Amino acid sequence: MISGTGKGMGHFEMELQLKAQELVSVLNEGKLSDAMEIIQELHEFRHQTFFSEVGHLTRGLHEAIKSFSSELGSSLQVDDDSSDDTDAADRLNYVIEMTEKNAHDTMDRVDKALSLVDKLDSQSERFKDLLLLVGQLEKEHDSLSGVYDRTCAVKEESEQTIGTLRAELTDIVVSQSYQDITGQLIRRVINLVTNVETHLVGLMEMASQVEKLSGIEVSVASEDDKQTNKKNPIQAEGPQVNKESADVVSNQDEVDDLLSSLGF
Amino acid sequence: MNKDMKILVVDDFSTMRRIIKNLLRDLGMTNVQEADDGQTALPILKQGGIDFLVTDWNMPGMTGIDLLKEVRSDPQLASMPVLMVTAEAKKEQIIAAAQAGVNGYVVKPFTAAVLKEKIDKIFERLG
Repeated sequence: MISGTGKGMGHFEMELQLKAQELVSVLNEGKLSDAMEIIQELHEFRHQTFFSEVGHLTRGLHEAIKSFSSELGSSLQVDDDSSDDTDAADRLNYVIEMTEKNAHDTMDRVDKALSLVDKLDSQSERFKDLLLLVGQLEKEHDSLSGVYDRTCAVKEESEQTIGTLRAELTDIVVSQSYQDITGQLIRRVINLVTNVETHLVGLMEMASQVEKLSGIEVSVASEDDKQTNKKNPIQAEGPQVNKESADVVSNQDEVDDLLSSLGF
Repeated sequence: MNKDMKILVVDDFSTMRRIIKNLLRDLGMTNVQEADDGQTALPILKQGGIDFLVTDWNMPGMTGIDLLKEVRSDPQLASMPVLMVTAEAKKEQIIAAAQAGVNGYVVKPFTAAVLKEKIDKIFERLG
C-alpha cells in the first residue's frame, strides 16, 4: 500500500509548466535576474518533490514490512539484533519435530507388528510338524483322505499372506521418509525467512534514515490501530510450540485440572 | 555379500537412519552404526572396522559429498564402498558424486526394492 503523496508528481508537472511559462516571459522581457531566480526556485522545487516522493515510498515500504513482520508473528525491530530465530522459524522447527516424533511412533508400531509376523512364521513351522502327523494318520484312516493336501494348501496360502503382510509393513516404514523430505524443505524455508527478515531489518534502518531526512512524520498509531494491534487473547493460534510458557497447558491432565478447578 | 559386515549409516534425520537400518536388517545385516553428519562420521570411519558407508548428502557440519571425498583421500578408507542416499536430485550433483567415487546413488524417496537392488549391485561389482 504505497500510496501517492499529498501533492505528487502530477502537481510537480503542473508547477513545472507554470514556472516554465513564467521563465519564458521574463526572458522575453529581458529580466535576467528574475529568470535566474525562477531557475533557482525550480531547482529547489524539484529537489523537494523528489525527496518527498522517496520519503513516501519509504514510508510505504516501512508499513509493508511491518505488516509482513506481524504476519510472520515476529517483531522486526531495528535495534534488536539478539535473536536469529523468528517466531515463524520456531513454528516450522516445531513441524519438523512433530513429524519426526510421529514417524518414530509409526515405526515403533510397525516394529511390534513385524515381531508378531515373526511369531506367525514360527507358528507356521510348528504347524508343519503337525501336518506330517496328519499325513501319517491319513494313511491309516480312510475318512481322513485328502485332509493333508487341503491343509497344506491352507498353510501355503497363509504363508503367502504373511509374506505380503511383511512387505506391506516394510513399505509403511519406508514411506516415513516423507519426514526427511518435508523436513529438508522446511529447513530451506526457515533459512529463507531468516534471510528475508535480516534484509528487511536493513531496509527498515534505511527507511527511518530517509524518513528523518525527508522530514516525514511517522504517524503515531491511532487509537483504532492500537486496538487492532492488541492481540485478542483467545484468537486461534494453532498448536503451541512453547509448552514451557506459563499460560499454556502441556497435556490433557492440565486441561482436566483447569476445568475441574472451574467446577466442571 | 558378508552379512556380518559393519555398516555406518549417516543422515541428519533420525527417521531416515531408522528406515535404512530396518531395510538393512531385512537384508540380514544387523551390524549397523549411526552418525548424524560427516563430522561425526569421519572419526568413526577413521577408527576402523567399518566395511560399508551409507550416507545422505545434505547435512549440517560436513555434507555427504565432502565425507565421500575425505574417505576417498584417506588411504586407509579409500576402497570402502559408499552408497549415497539423498534427496539431491540434480544431474550435476549425481555426476559430482560419481566423479568423487560413489559406488551407488539412491534418490529419496525410495522403495525397499530400490535400496536392496543398489546394495546388491555394489557388492556384486566388488565381487
